[in-house]
Amino acid sequence: MRRTPVAAVVMALAVTGCAGAASSVPRAAPTCDHGNVLILIAQSVPSAAFVPCIAEFPVGWTFGGEHIDARSSVFWLDSDRAGLRAVTVSLDRTCDTTGAVRVPVEPDEAGTVRFERPRSLPPRFVSNRFYTFPGGCVTYRFAFRPGATFTPALEATSALTFFSRAKGVELLRREGITLCGAGVECPG
Amino acid sequence: MGPDAGPHPERPPHSSDEAPIGRPQRWREPVALAGARLSRRRRRPSGKPPPLPHELGVSGKLWVGAVAALVVFMVLLFTVPIGDTFDRREGQFLGWLSGIRTGWLTDAARFLAGIGAEWPNRIARWGVILVLVLFKRWRHLFVFVGTVLVVSWLVALIEYVEPRTRPLGVRIIGSWEGFSFPSATVAAAAITGIGVLYTILEPGKARRIGKWVLWALLALLVAADWYLAVDHPMDDVVALVLGVALPLLAYRMLVPNSVFPVTYRRGRSAHLDLGGARGKAIRQAVGDQLGLTVTDIQPFGQRGSGGSTPMRLTIAGEPERHVFGKLYAKTHLRADRWYKLGRTILYGSLEDEKAYGSVRRLVQYEDYVLRVMHDAGIGGARSYGFVEISPEAEYLLVTEFLEGGVEISEAEVDERVIDEALRTVRGMWEAGLAHRDVKPANVLVRDGHVVLIDLAFGELRPSPWRQAVDLANMMIVLGLRADADLVYARALEQFSMDEIGEAFAATRSVTVPTESRSMLRRMRKEGRDVLKRYRELAPRRRPIAIQRWSFRRIALTVGVLLGALILWGLLQANLESGAL
Repeated sequence: MRRTPVAAVVMALAVTGCAGAASSVPRAAPTCDHGNVLILIAQSVPSAAFVPCIAEFPVGWTFGGEHIDARSSVFWLDSDRAGLRAVTVSLDRTCDTTGAVRVPVEPDEAGTVRFERPRSLPPRFVSNRFYTFPGGCVTYRFAFRPGATFTPALEATSALTFFSRAKGVELLRREGITLCGAGVECPG
Repeated sequence: MGPDAGPHPERPPHSSDEAPIGRPQRWREPVALAGARLSRRRRRPSGKPPPLPHELGVSGKLWVGAVAALVVFMVLLFTVPIGDTFDRREGQFLGWLSGIRTGWLTDAARFLAGIGAEWPNRIARWGVILVLVLFKRWRHLFVFVGTVLVVSWLVALIEYVEPRTRPLGVRIIGSWEGFSFPSATVAAAAITGIGVLYTILEPGKARRIGKWVLWALLALLVAADWYLAVDHPMDDVVALVLGVALPLLAYRMLVPNSVFPVTYRRGRSAHLDLGGARGKAIRQAVGDQLGLTVTDIQPFGQRGSGGSTPMRLTIAGEPERHVFGKLYAKTHLRADRWYKLGRTILYGSLEDEKAYGSVRRLVQYEDYVLRVMHDAGIGGARSYGFVEISPEAEYLLVTEFLEGGVEISEAEVDERVIDEALRTVRGMWEAGLAHRDVKPANVLVRDGHVVLIDLAFGELRPSPWRQAVDLANMMIVLGLRADADLVYARALEQFSMDEIGEAFAATRSVTVPTESRSMLRRMRKEGRDVLKRYRELAPRRRPIAIQRWSFRRIALTVGVLLGALILWGLLQANLESGAL
């Protein structure tokens, strides 16, 4: 029967949701050991001295998605307690820290300057955190679902870290690859 | 019993033209067409192409090759360490290209890179969708949206499986988004462009020019992406193969132009073009398979036919004769499927609503019904058999051309015609046949005799309900041209009052063909309600219910609703993701 393969394909598409096109395909997570995603993020803001990455996924946290283009990089994490898109991380050339309070950085954040701008506290935690550094700025936007405690913010903070561009450039150089941007001039 | 015991009771005695055993039998010619020049029929040897081979074209074959090469390349990429070599060569090329960057060239390249941007593609895609909806080219629309979804999904999948950074070792001066392999912008522009070519532009000059324009635009886009160093050369090559080859193959195979022509001229799109390659194929097929030399092919009676492509064939001979041809293709098969699916959902299985499995079976069935009708002595066109135009795709049913026949709505309908028309229904009842589409266009009067045509919906051993509906529809057809009281009185000569009562108890608006229904409506406005008069004359009977409930009907309805919901979901997902 000729209808069978057609029906099978339709069913397969329906079941897998693959005909939902690009949006249904999983995206590569910017974990600190995923070279190509980190390089792409570095390419999006060539001046940035650091790129944000995910060091580990605490229990209950998953990668939500990413959008990387020629101007900035954004990725977000979902939490089973704090909700979908509980933390959105973005890398830009600059960011507006007006009204934010400067706070001391953690040891793995050396080389950056940290600012906090809480919008609301639990039961509906919403806050912006900024890390500024030469050539760039990383923003963590916390937006937890109502009723979520502050604990997921601590978990997210421990999950996220930075990768130094200088270190990346050096690692790539050893493989004969040139990552253009801060400190590295390229043709064109 | 010994050999001399006389003739076998079930075996007819040898006729005079029967060949003696041991000598080659001389086959009787299938077409009894007085005066027609009959030539020797030819069998198609194995391996020889059919009269109308499936079309893929030279470029289609080349693109199939490109897809195969792409698959091989992808396998090599994952299994053999060739990636580094490619990276180096591509880096060198882009580095060299960056050396020629100048102000005006950079401005031009940035402008040209916009060809692959989201907004022009979105506008073009929605433009295509709008035009296709406006011209009710649903099949093209389905294939267009399908290619956009599938290719977008494939691009995203490859990006995920083989995430590739933007070019390294060269300054990127253009805009980009996401991983570079394969180039999403080039693939998007290619799918849109191919969609415009194969769904909007008519074949011929417009499409030829369109192809050149598309290739020029794609070449400029690729050159701009290389100049700006946003893509590696291989990113664009693979995107072109995906964005051009897959949609091209989909259009060539699912909406071939010979079957689903893109045209803006008036006319029913259900009818196939009878000129060009198909015209030649029909001549060859009728010549080879029936031994008739076709000198001319003319569309005939297309207004009243949506389920096939009807035509009049002129046959060489002394004098020239005409035969009637009905060309069936996959498009008609699918129309039949949708029609039956719709009926099953709306009414349940009132009668056999199983769709035909192939075009061959559809034609075979009509040919058989015609022959049964002929054998039963019921007035109809005689079948000369059917010929194969394209295996499993197109078949032509060849029948007698009813020269001089006029539609009953234009003929004089006297008592003799009424009697003969009703006798035809009686004959069908007795032969176990139902026409299922008795309407003025299908009842001809030829030399004062009634002839039924178009047995595409005919059924053998139909339900009693359907036979009753045939009678009611024939009485309606006659009542449109003659006095209803007279028709009723003549019907009583051949049918019992109870049978006539049953016929009108089975009649509903949906059981009356559209043509008859609109004529009834017109007459009602003129003050003559034929159906009401019949109901007054016929004995009262409880109306026969036409709704039939079954597990199949419920499952089909749920399935269709579910399919519609999934489609709606997919559409929304793609609107959000920007694929559409």
